[in-house]
Amino acid sequence: MNRVHVVKAILWALVGLSLAVAINRFAFGLGATTNLTDATPWGLWIGFDVMAGVALAAGGFVITAIFYVMRRKEFHPMVRPAVLTAFLGYVAVVFSLMVDLGLPWNIWHMIIFWNPHSPLFEVGWCVMLYTSVLLLEFSPVPLESSSRYAKIRDFLMKFRFPLVLLGIMLSTLHQSSLGSLFLIMPFKLHPLWYTPLLPILFFISAVGLGLMMVSLENLVSSWIYKRPPETHLVAKLGKAAVWVLSIFLIVRFVDLAITGKLALMVEGTWEGFLFIAEILIMAVIPILLFAVPKTRNSLAGQWTGSFLVVFGAIFNRVNVGGLTMLSTSGDSYFPSWMELSISLGIVSFMVLVFLFAIEKFNIWENRPTEEESDPHASPHFSRAGEVWLGAPAVAGRTRYSFAFVVALAIGFALIPGKKIRSGGVADVPTVAARGGDTLFVDGNRDGYGVAFKHQFHEDTLGREQSCVLCHHMNMPQDKNSGCFHCHRQMYVAADAFRHEWHGSPSGANVACSECHADNMNRTATSAKTCESCHTDLVVPGATVTVEQYLAPAYTDAMHAMCIGCHREVAAEKPEKEAIVLCANCHSSAGPEYLRADVLERLKRTEFNHVVLPGLSLEQVE
Amino acid sequence: MDAFLEFATGPLFRLTFAIMILGLVRILVLDLIGMFEAYRRAGDKTIPWKLTLSRTLEWVFPVKRVISHRPVYSVIAILFHIGLLVTPIFLFAHVQLWRDGLGFGWWTLSPGLADTLTLATIALGVLLFLGRVGSRDARSLSRKQDYLWPLVLIVPFITGYVCANLGVSPALYRLSMLVHVLSGELIFVLIPFTKIAHCVLMPLSQLVSTLAWKFPARVDEDVCTTLNKEGAPV
Repeated sequence: MNRVHVVKAILWALVGLSLAVAINRFAFGLGATTNLTDATPWGLWIGFDVMAGVALAAGGFVITAIFYVMRRKEFHPMVRPAVLTAFLGYVAVVFSLMVDLGLPWNIWHMIIFWNPHSPLFEVGWCVMLYTSVLLLEFSPVPLESSSRYAKIRDFLMKFRFPLVLLGIMLSTLHQSSLGSLFLIMPFKLHPLWYTPLLPILFFISAVGLGLMMVSLENLVSSWIYKRPPETHLVAKLGKAAVWVLSIFLIVRFVDLAITGKLALMVEGTWEGFLFIAEILIMAVIPILLFAVPKTRNSLAGQWTGSFLVVFGAIFNRVNVGGLTMLSTSGDSYFPSWMELSISLGIVSFMVLVFLFAIEKFNIWENRPTEEESDPHASPHFSRAGEVWLGAPAVAGRTRYSFAFVVALAIGFALIPGKKIRSGGVADVPTVAARGGDTLFVDGNRDGYGVAFKHQFHEDTLGREQSCVLCHHMNMPQDKNSGCFHCHRQMYVAADAFRHEWHGSPSGANVACSECHADNMNRTATSAKTCESCHTDLVVPGATVTVEQYLAPAYTDAMHAMCIGCHREVAAEKPEKEAIVLCANCHSSAGPEYLRADVLERLKRTEFNHVVLPGLSLEQVE
Repeated sequence: MDAFLEFATGPLFRLTFAIMILGLVRILVLDLIGMFEAYRRAGDKTIPWKLTLSRTLEWVFPVKRVISHRPVYSVIAILFHIGLLVTPIFLFAHVQLWRDGLGFGWWTLSPGLADTLTLATIALGVLLFLGRVGSRDARSLSRKQDYLWPLVLIVPFITGYVCANLGVSPALYRLSMLVHVLSGELIFVLIPFTKIAHCVLMPLSQLVSTLAWKFPARVDEDVCTTLNKEGAPV
């Protein structure tokens, strides 16, 4: 077997494996295929397939800009492969999105129901438009092999320059808008990566990556077909990459320095390590390699440099696309083998299409002389199977289909039998949520929860306007907004004095000098006590004394004031010893529509359903 | 042993069964592609559809052929095929497994009939093997796999019969069950890559040989050109 055969057989095997997984994904859903959760809904497929896939397609607009706009004619041999790579990259992104979307059949909604406020809307349109533009830009190449389509080809050729310009424009927008996508999650993304400059950084790195992607693809495809790579052109691209990557580094570090985040990289956290690794792989080492003319012109230097930039940029997109959000969301996620195989399979399929195009159309100035395409080559004989494989084309077909079928079968065997029966998520009893009276709120679906007076909250908080108060809270680093976000007085001490209200015209409208003596600093200690105005504040004979103007939290007040007396009574009167049992106060009953087993658990007195906030007093104030 | 058995009936079964189905689809597709290519290149595009169809049917239901040619051997072979296919597909225990996995099942054999068919298949397999060894004509045509197949095919029948009917010790039961499952899976894997592939290719064989005897267009002229006898009659 020669190199082309081995590479293609491996690629076909990967495609076969991923087909098995894709069938599983579409038949049984994301839950049976991925390790994604509601807290981490974006994983490898967004981070690698989409974010990195789009970035890897950057070669298309970079090379067309160099060739058509800057008129550097020497790059002509690279234009067709670059446009083809860009097109296939975008098709791969579309494939991945279809696999990743929860309801892929709704993808057309984006075209009809416009939502211009959403960055995803912009991303979706850009992918759609740029893929179409790339298709039109590339289609003259396959059309030239047949005279039947000459008219269509001539028509497209007339619009080549506007198409190229449109393509450059769209990908400029799109590369940066992928960065904009992450501007909406300042609290999720780690500060080393979050910056308002994300769109600009994405664009600059895409240019650098585009240069190196074209170089790497040139080197790899030359290696596969054993033809001399265009080293002199790759060296020129390397030189350009030094400039682009240096600008990237400068912008990145100046931004970090100005915003005061530079120290975060040496704090010893694993994000710091990721950051250092990313910068070294993606920019520093390649810049050093390509800055030296000797390594820039050597094949080994070009392989290493371009591979590092491509790898580093993928790493960067994966970091931004999810890896660095994990510690803030507190969730753990590692892609399942099925997710990995889908990613690999899509990439492999695109490489196969690329190789097919190289063999069938004039992508290169000289089409590779692949022995499979030679009708006069001698037939193949397989020693292992002791069979004639026929003419080379038949032999190839036999071998690749074998690799494909065996990998597909392995995929079916590996998909765990238990997971294959996914019943989806169990229905949560949200009976008539809109305007419903009493709901049972059970955020983590473990049967523990609280009965929540939904209708009452709606009525008292402004009817229609009330929804956003709870449902769109968007608390920083929020996972589930608990009741305590509003009902703080349940758990933390509150200011009983209300200083602002006393001073405001709409409140008591008391002048400062009424309480604070003129010749002293205006502090709590120098002010009058409450009793000097509110003579009836503490009723005669009260057991509570006012020491500071902090009202204890509701739960603390109840526990501290009630339980002591009840204990004493219980100790004195044996017949009333049940008086201190928690359930005397914490008797609870769920709404009538709850399942019997859930109701039963609700009646237990372990209080697992009370969620105490982990906030100290200082943090709240 | 239990872990082995669980693996053999779980992932290994899915793997081998998938290899069988997908492998058969693969050779069918490859065969069809080859056929269309041969037809596209053929100089003479006529295909005697009626004749091909009738010959194919004659081979699929070889009633007439049996009597005219080696009747004893042919009857044994046909009965062997029936036992080989009907017993595993319609065995109650197997259908029950499908019912667990797929949610539906189908008509099943009565236990008595199943036992009779199993024993008959074992006996017929042995007879076929002996027939091949005993006949000089058959020997000269045979490859290694031709001797092995009847023997390999009856292994799951023997072990299956042991498991279903004989009161053996639990350890022996599990061992024979393991051999039963593994031998069945070996057969699954081998089907698409050996002569058993005729289970899907047989209906095409008449058509393929019809097409194979058509020369590519203008090939006669090429032959003459190569022999430096241009214009000469072929």
